[in-house]
Amino acid sequence: MVSLLLKTILMSNKNLSLLEILINDASFVNWAKNQNQNDVAFWKKWIAEHPDKIDTVYNAKAIVLGIQFNPVQIPENKINRELNDILAQIEPGETAPLKPNKKTSILTYLGIAAAVVLIVTFVNRFSAEDSTIVTHKTVYGEIIDLKLPDGTSVVLNGNSEISYDKSAPRNINLKGEAYFKVKAIPSTQAKFWVNTKDLKVEVYGTQFSVNTRNEKTGVLLDEGSIQLLLGNGSTRKMIPGEMVSYSDDDKEVTHKKVTQDLSYSLWREGTYVFNNTSVYEVMRNVEHAYGLKTEFIDEELKNQKLSGGIPNQNLKICLSAIEKSTGTRIVVKDKRLLIFKN
Amino acid sequence: MVSDYFENMNTSSEKSLWNLFVEGDKNAFSSLFKTYYSPLYSYGLKISSDQCTTEDCLQNFFIYLHKNRRNLSEINNVKSYLFVSFRRAILKNLKQERRFSSYDEIFESNHLFAFSPEELKIEQEISNTKNTALAVLLNSLSTRQREVVYLKYYSELSIKDTAEVMNISYQSVLNTLQKAFSKLRNEIVEQEISAVLQKK
Repeated sequence: MVSLLLKTILMSNKNLSLLEILINDASFVNWAKNQNQNDVAFWKKWIAEHPDKIDTVYNAKAIVLGIQFNPVQIPENKINRELNDILAQIEPGETAPLKPNKKTSILTYLGIAAAVVLIVTFVNRFSAEDSTIVTHKTVYGEIIDLKLPDGTSVVLNGNSEISYDKSAPRNINLKGEAYFKVKAIPSTQAKFWVNTKDLKVEVYGTQFSVNTRNEKTGVLLDEGSIQLLLGNGSTRKMIPGEMVSYSDDDKEVTHKKVTQDLSYSLWREGTYVFNNTSVYEVMRNVEHAYGLKTEFIDEELKNQKLSGGIPNQNLKICLSAIEKSTGTRIVVKDKRLLIFKN
Repeated sequence: MVSDYFENMNTSSEKSLWNLFVEGDKNAFSSLFKTYYSPLYSYGLKISSDQCTTEDCLQNFFIYLHKNRRNLSEINNVKSYLFVSFRRAILKNLKQERRFSSYDEIFESNHLFAFSPEELKIEQEISNTKNTALAVLLNSLSTRQREVVYLKYYSELSIKDTAEVMNISYQSVLNTLQKAFSKLRNEIVEQEISAVLQKK
């Protein structure tokens, strides 16, 4: 079969060199990499029959195998610093970039810098008619930047809502997911609170992210220190790299060390980053961001692992990225995502 | 799987990301910046051999892209577009800064695309040659051959995109690769033979 194909190509395309045909031929690539016994056998025979082509064959093999490099990866904090420099230059006058560089974070935040994620289900305690309550809401797939009266910056993820009483703008209620950069008030050391039905986060000046998607509250601390007032009356202090999750329903607390769980903090830049995460977990993120339900038609796909960044502001791009990286097919039907093997 | 994933991202999704960037989406710009900072930085450093120059050029390059995003020509492939444009930008900078009269002079006078053993993976599919020896062999290739090797295997560009970045034909890239590997193969064989002889 292959030989016939090769002959046909050689005959019909006088301009196409043997080298070009070989390096683009899947069967030849298999032989070069010693991967498929049928292909290996075929090309051994072919070479024996074409001794005049041996040089081209071995050059083609070398081109296929190539040279293996260890590309230099610039550290992420360095890249973020460069990015913030550029964002400051191209958008003068707009709000400062979200991640301050080390110098300003220490000065501005009194050495207390914390990044926190909460995963909560929240019960809204305020009625919409109450005019002293300020509410900000986003629709699916929308991300907005907000500035609170006290100078605190908030990035609100899709399908989320924050509210506060005008008289107490440093006491925030959250439903959904948000990232806070709290403005420190050194003179009075005024605290800042984020309330969920499960717990209260108490901070001075800090940065953290809150997510109220599941049946509990999760807090992930990147930097600095923070105090949690749990619904069961106890308090917990956290150190960087720890994650606490708590549900007031079953009063269950987990307090553990996490390593590099990027997926929790990068959403605010428009990307969910996954590191060897199961498709099931990935789809739960998508469900929350777009308000859809997932159905796995082929159940075994649930456990397939995925690494990389998924854009979270455009459902079409998001799904196509997941499809391509996992070899699945995702069909959107009546607010449901049906996942098939491709 | 990860590399497949990014390869796929490069085609359709990245094009969409690019379009968002052109429309002024800050997240799209940040995402492109984060994806391409490292590969472009490494590429620039191979041309300029100077970290400061490369950093400055890269920063100016992204500012230029953002400022002129609405006037950029229609692009087919984000990665090769960025490589082409950044190559042009850094060469222009070198020509001005170091007062070269032409680009050819830059390629002649500097040792562009020099490889170090540390950049090479320990396990090479092509031979068991030690990395120090392989780096020496790679550095004995012509500048053009080294750039083709760099773009194809270090930056993982396709032959078509390599041709676009270097502004040469597809066939020239193929010929250059063939010459480079023909030389490498011969040298490797010679080294292996002399190693065997030394043992005896």
